[in-house]
Amino acid sequence: MSPVLAIAAKDLRQRLRDRSAIVLGFLAPVAIAALMSFAFGGGDSYHLDAAVVNNDHGELAAAFTQVLRRPELSELVTVHTVRDEADARAQVDSGQLGAAFVIPAGFTAAARGGSAVPVTVLGRVDEPVTQQVGAAIAEGFTAQLNSVRLTVATALASGAPADTLPALAAEAAARRLPEQITTAQAGTRPLRSISYFGPAMGIFFALFAVGFTARGYFLEKETGTLDRISAAPLRPGVVLAGKSLATLGYALASLTTMALVTTLVFGAYWGPPLPAAALIVAMTLAMVGLTALVISLSRSQRQAEGVAAMLTFGLVLLGGNFVYLAMAPPPLRALALLTPNGWALRGFTDLATGAGASAAVLPVLAMLGFTAVCGGLAALLSRRAAR
Amino acid sequence: MTALAIMGTGLRRLARDRTALFFMVLLPTVIILVIGATVRDNGELRIGVVTAEQTPLATELVTELRNTPALRVTDHAAATARTALRRNELDAVVIVPAGLDATLRSGGTVTIPVLGGAAASTQQAAQSAVAGAVARHAARIEAARFAAAKRGGTFDEHLDTATRLQGTVGAVTVRTETVDATSDYLPLGFSYSAPTMLVLFVFINALAGGAAIIESRRLGIYERAGAAPVRPRDIVLGETLTYLAVALLQSLLIVGIGAALFGVRWGDPLAAGALITVWALVGTGTGILAGTLFRTPEQAGAIGPAIGIAAGMLGGAMWPLEIVPDAMRTIGHITPHAWAVDGWTEILSRGGGIPQIATQLAVLGAFAVTLLTVASVRLGRRLTA
Repeated sequence: MSPVLAIAAKDLRQRLRDRSAIVLGFLAPVAIAALMSFAFGGGDSYHLDAAVVNNDHGELAAAFTQVLRRPELSELVTVHTVRDEADARAQVDSGQLGAAFVIPAGFTAAARGGSAVPVTVLGRVDEPVTQQVGAAIAEGFTAQLNSVRLTVATALASGAPADTLPALAAEAAARRLPEQITTAQAGTRPLRSISYFGPAMGIFFALFAVGFTARGYFLEKETGTLDRISAAPLRPGVVLAGKSLATLGYALASLTTMALVTTLVFGAYWGPPLPAAALIVAMTLAMVGLTALVISLSRSQRQAEGVAAMLTFGLVLLGGNFVYLAMAPPPLRALALLTPNGWALRGFTDLATGAGASAAVLPVLAMLGFTAVCGGLAALLSRRAAR
Repeated sequence: MTALAIMGTGLRRLARDRTALFFMVLLPTVIILVIGATVRDNGELRIGVVTAEQTPLATELVTELRNTPALRVTDHAAATARTALRRNELDAVVIVPAGLDATLRSGGTVTIPVLGGAAASTQQAAQSAVAGAVARHAARIEAARFAAAKRGGTFDEHLDTATRLQGTVGAVTVRTETVDATSDYLPLGFSYSAPTMLVLFVFINALAGGAAIIESRRLGIYERAGAAPVRPRDIVLGETLTYLAVALLQSLLIVGIGAALFGVRWGDPLAAGALITVWALVGTGTGILAGTLFRTPEQAGAIGPAIGIAAGMLGGAMWPLEIVPDAMRTIGHITPHAWAVDGWTEILSRGGGIPQIATQLAVLGAFAVTLLTVASVRLGRRLTA
């Protein structure tokens, strides 16, 4: 066996004997991703449980209820029945309903002429958007009525005789609004939360390997193991290569397990296998570079532990492993691209939402660049220390 | 007195540990900043607008979209809009087509594409809201065209009249009314992130702090202390006081930083103080228990945060429990975190005082007593063994 492999195998064996390595590398990320999957199981999408309180009993109130039941709104709105307005208020208050539409008495008559009476959308303080979406649906309905009113009013204001009003109204009502919306699919896959937080948590926990390895290096240095190994006829760099390989192996195993378990058990999608694997490998290489940097920055076990912890937490915070970056303000999204894990997450997000395999190229290059910078810095620092 | 001396030593040891200070103060502050900056919006629909032309009618349509309460509108180029939509940075994209102005003026009909990317229901919500805004715009155009056809005069003249009338003419309006007055959620922004991160980090820090006890055990500090006329009881008390002091100190720092840097109003001081104290006691019990359960400081330092994060997720310190299924909310209340976050919600969102958070204080008190009892019995046993 080559000395590099022997050293890597020894380090891995040692690592796996420590139960906390198994917990952190394999059990914790799966458990936490599972938690997130259950928590967001309902999907982070809008749904409006609504009811119509019909105090009008006219033609327009019936038409409005029909609008809510249209197939275009089938995913968004479920119409429930309520006894009366008090019942609707109670159900909105308790959260059983997202919103309730109150069509006032005399609505149909008023809308056809006379002074209009408003439709009321009942909602809760904590669900302002649900209420606003409800209001928008109601406004879509009233828009047609209002268009006729506005058309007639504008014609009258520009001097049409008042006695032509019924004729104008009839003519205006027959016309169609000159702007219509049409819906189209962008051809992308919706991003499930597990497909984001699966890789995010996998990377977060795999990053603990940086601290483990760096600490292990100084432990061996302090106990003289390193000196004894370097007494063997080995070329310089073999020890470091062996240790890097061990980190690579551990982090790769951890991330791959995470990818398989979240995919098979929780339905996550990490993207097509090849580009996803490329992202995983590039991220693991970045961790190796980071480990070298931590070792070159530290002088003792405790320092290595501290530096690694700070770097790890700094990176996961900026990179978006804990906050869903798509919801974050643009400056935070830009900052994330300073970190390898931010690039990895961008790559996984792109792959999971249906971008082509080429979407992995830039993230992989960025992560390799990060690895090179870390490695270069580490080499520079250790050369200076050796002098 | 002995207990106080032990506490003094513990605190001095901590003050020299720069990594511990990073986790105690700097990390929570940065996380409060990042999460506070992220959790800002109340879930408005994010609409990207791609405008093919900068004509009066196109601009007016975009303004109409901007003035719709449920929408947050940003401008995009066609290619970036699609990418943002795919990445879920937008909920829908509205494309204002080229020739819109000319077509509308010449009496034609314009079709406005709305691209949806996210879940079907979100897409329908976005489309409904966009449709409302488009209809308001279209109504003015229609009125202007109709008047121009009937009465002569220019389209623009009549459009001005229609725009003026749209606000005043007795239109069928839609009004909104909220049935409840107070919120069940924490406020958004830093007032959300500061209290939840206080709950999360005081607990995680205490858990990871269990490493200090393990190290003391390994270094034989307790044996040496035991050689002096020091009763195990005093050592247990001393350790308890150390952890309590650290937890309280960290809480006060987070409260101070939250108030000074992020403008968080922490509500009724008595209620906030009581909640912080019982939470510090829960943390103390957990930390000492960790010190007797884990075998190596590395275990405490590594597994501690993982447990702390998981408990924080279950208990609503990482996201509000209102958004999870009912069963998860019930399960979440197994953790003390859920009760602490409930307490903070009561104080921050509803101006609650001690009577309003009595249940939370009682439950957390019970957690603290149980944890502290088990922890001190275990630590005492380790000391006398």
